[in-house]
Amino acid sequence: MSRRSLRQLHRIAQWEVSRGVGVIDRKTAAVGVILLLLTGGVVGGVVMSGAGGVAIDRDIYRVGVDTENPYYPVVAQSSQLSAHPPDHEALARGDQDVIIEAFDDQFISWQTTGTEKGDAAHAALLSEIDRYNERQMASEPNQTAAYPVLVDIQYLTRFVDTPEALAAAQADDTSTSDRDLEGDTDSGSDRDTGAETNGEQPDSGAETSGGTDTASGPPPAIGTGVFGGEQSGSPATIQPPFPFSSLLLAFVFLIPLNFVIQAYGSTILNERINRRGELLLVAPVSRRTIIAGKTLPYFTAGMGVCGIIAVAVGGGLQSIAGVLPIVLAFLSATFVGGMLARSFKELTFVTVTISVFITTYVFVPAIFTNVTPIALISPLTIVVMDLQGQSATMGELLFSTVPFVVGSVVLFALGAGIYREEDMFTQKSIPDKFLDALNAQLSGYRSVALWTALFVPFVFVAELLAIAVLFVAPIELSIPILLITIAAIEEIAKSIHIYAGYQRARFDRALPVALGLGIASGAAFFVAEKFTAIAQVVGLPELALGQAAFAPVGLTPTLTIGLLLAPLALHVVTAMITAIGARDRRLVYGSALFIATLVHALYNYVVVTFYA
Amino acid sequence: MRKRTNGSSRRNPRLTIAGREVRMLGKEKTIVLALAIQLFVAGFSSFLVVGLVSLYDPTGVDGYTIEAAVTGDAADELLAAASEHERVSTTSYDDQASAQSAFQQGSAQLIFTANWEDDRIRIVTTVPDSNVETTIIVTEARDVLQTLERQQRVDRAAFLEQTPLSPLGESDGNPYYDFTYTILVPLLVFLPIFISGSITVDSITEEIERGTLDLLRVAPVTLTEIVDGKALAAIVIAPVQALTWLLLLTVNGTPIHNIGPIVLLTTAITVIVVALAATMAFVGSDRRGAQFLYSIAVIAFFAGSSFLPGGPTNTIARLAIDSADLTSYLTIGIFVVAAVGVYGGLRGVVSQVDPNEL
Repeated sequence: MSRRSLRQLHRIAQWEVSRGVGVIDRKTAAVGVILLLLTGGVVGGVVMSGAGGVAIDRDIYRVGVDTENPYYPVVAQSSQLSAHPPDHEALARGDQDVIIEAFDDQFISWQTTGTEKGDAAHAALLSEIDRYNERQMASEPNQTAAYPVLVDIQYLTRFVDTPEALAAAQADDTSTSDRDLEGDTDSGSDRDTGAETNGEQPDSGAETSGGTDTASGPPPAIGTGVFGGEQSGSPATIQPPFPFSSLLLAFVFLIPLNFVIQAYGSTILNERINRRGELLLVAPVSRRTIIAGKTLPYFTAGMGVCGIIAVAVGGGLQSIAGVLPIVLAFLSATFVGGMLARSFKELTFVTVTISVFITTYVFVPAIFTNVTPIALISPLTIVVMDLQGQSATMGELLFSTVPFVVGSVVLFALGAGIYREEDMFTQKSIPDKFLDALNAQLSGYRSVALWTALFVPFVFVAELLAIAVLFVAPIELSIPILLITIAAIEEIAKSIHIYAGYQRARFDRALPVALGLGIASGAAFFVAEKFTAIAQVVGLPELALGQAAFAPVGLTPTLTIGLLLAPLALHVVTAMITAIGARDRRLVYGSALFIATLVHALYNYVVVTFYA
Repeated sequence: MRKRTNGSSRRNPRLTIAGREVRMLGKEKTIVLALAIQLFVAGFSSFLVVGLVSLYDPTGVDGYTIEAAVTGDAADELLAAASEHERVSTTSYDDQASAQSAFQQGSAQLIFTANWEDDRIRIVTTVPDSNVETTIIVTEARDVLQTLERQQRVDRAAFLEQTPLSPLGESDGNPYYDFTYTILVPLLVFLPIFISGSITVDSITEEIERGTLDLLRVAPVTLTEIVDGKALAAIVIAPVQALTWLLLLTVNGTPIHNIGPIVLLTTAITVIVVALAATMAFVGSDRRGAQFLYSIAVIAFFAGSSFLPGGPTNTIARLAIDSADLTSYLTIGIFVVAAVGVYGGLRGVVSQVDPNEL
């Protein structure tokens, strides 16, 4: 980029900032401050008075229990359960879910409604009893008797063949300070109570646990599992590897982005209202500079906020690296939305769709950070790993961020294609504008090949999403659906821009041209899909489902040359089918797409059964 | 207010405007997007529920047992505890090395090395560092160890001031049963409300920015009627969407109770949110400013009301799961009264606005 366009970019960005700040005039700012103060006042007041709390599951189960019953405090102290006088008629009506009755303080009987809700209430009651016992034990003066069992959990990679590995893992005891971050707050405060009784207790366990708090009072909480690490504590504090608090912290990164894209979408659509953007369009500045200049302040704001959050929650550079593609994805999707929307109302729907979709897409896989490598389809997993103190390898980082970055660049390019008078200020339908956007990127065979290749990250995202959704379905059902879905996704990616080109009369309708476009697209797709090798680096195809998605493209090293050529032939043939159909109306294109998908799915099916 | 000749032939202008707003939404087809979002949320949430249950509740996996290797001088105590758990089968090993090799060869998925340490039992639990399996193994190991802890506590009851309560039977309930009611239902109910408020902001600021409010004002309607009409359209669509989702969930096998009261509460909240939105549309200088204020106002409203006992989220959850009591209905009443009050406030604001200055 030349120095001149850099200067122009800077000026546009500055202008955008000054206008954005101008929007927040004194009245708006004053009202905003009043609202914030009001919220703070209400929340603060309620919290101070101790009346409330954000327990959304408060009193959702009703338990019939007498105040004299030894289990009464369990129910009374629980947020989920509410205590009522036991009433068998209420139980029969479903107005009470569980009844606990004590006879002579010896024999305890309990009864549930037998419904799904009753069983769930029973399960909640059981875990509340455990929690109650833990609280009781924490205040016992004799901590050795209260906590007779100490547990160290170590995660060990199997088949490492030497007992030395175990010994090494044992010696390498992690410090308790790390665990505090993850452990539940109850245990954290309980430990202080225990510490006071320290003097009366034999100092057991100090030698082996490397001088941790285990020696005095209750054992420390066992934190969320970090693979390869070790945890110590009482049995109740064992948590399966589920990165709950890291996940919650990672979610904090996503919240401010919603505000950023709302303002960003507004500024894009604002240009299109009453032809306001025309002045900027006729100025001697390139389109790219205008868009970059208008985007830069919002990108900076998004990254700035994320940086502050990263510092606040204890994340580092890895968190920032994980958040960057998410910020880009939010902005690029909003840019396209702002270019396509016809009114503010439409923009609102688009913005909500974008935030819900991207948030879900990045958040849900991150839940499984410690469970399966599929989690790496989300850059947020990188953030969660960082907050857990795990560092991501270069391969993992690339696997989860590159598709997002490439995807964002593609979206920006598509939006830029319609950043021109005839699309900005007219009320064309969204599919029309979408075809315009694709058409604007095309010139000849080479551009068709390039854009097919650029769609691959989207294909990737769509396919991984399909895998994630079908992850829990039984494998007999999920594999066939997956094969067809993947075939359809790939066929659309190979042909939609060719269709756009034909609809805008960019390509010659002659049959050889159509076949040529099909060959260019199919071959490009084949080459680009080779990049799924990155997926194999991370070990994704270890999963049976991953294999179904990626094996048909032929990455297994045992393949012969003939088998290597088969997928190439497939992609070219199906792309030619759709290219022929694309010359005509939508219905014809749709039918061609259908045929191509069937051919593709059939081929995939044969390959999968061949391997099986 | 302007005097109006209320002839029977003339439709209420508010209804006309509301009808136009709803038709516009239908024409733009973006309402389809809103439905798609909610379908997506619902679909993914059930995916989550099923996924979590199968991950953290191995009872779903039939006949799944975990082989545990047990060694150490406190092995007997541990074996006794493990015998209460059907899903964990134990094998005793004489020394650490043979347990290790069983683990490495895959004949054991878990090693308990239990040793007495003064008066306590220290158990080194070794689990494989793999994927889904690890979670299940850790969960099962915890259950065994908690049983052991309980038994050991009973043995030491003489040294304890309180005896720990024994568990009431074994749990076979779904620990994620309440997820649908406490998260999914409120989410599906509140999302349309947020969107309704947001489109109210859009609808008003767009008229102001495009300058079409002047045209509308040439027509024989007052600004209050215009705002009423736009608000009416936004208020109607949110409860309708919420109702659709609740019925769909019921059809799908998740019983939702008290649908009527939930819809009433939803309507009241929508009125409040839409009134806030319309107020912000007049206070903010343009769409960006107004949407910004609206977001803060909505967050303030929900944060404020969720902290109050019997907040709307909790009330909806309790109504839906059929655990409502008097406070739930009291909450509905308060929200209905608040809705009337807030809407009255909006009308006050609008009557102060000089349309010529917009």
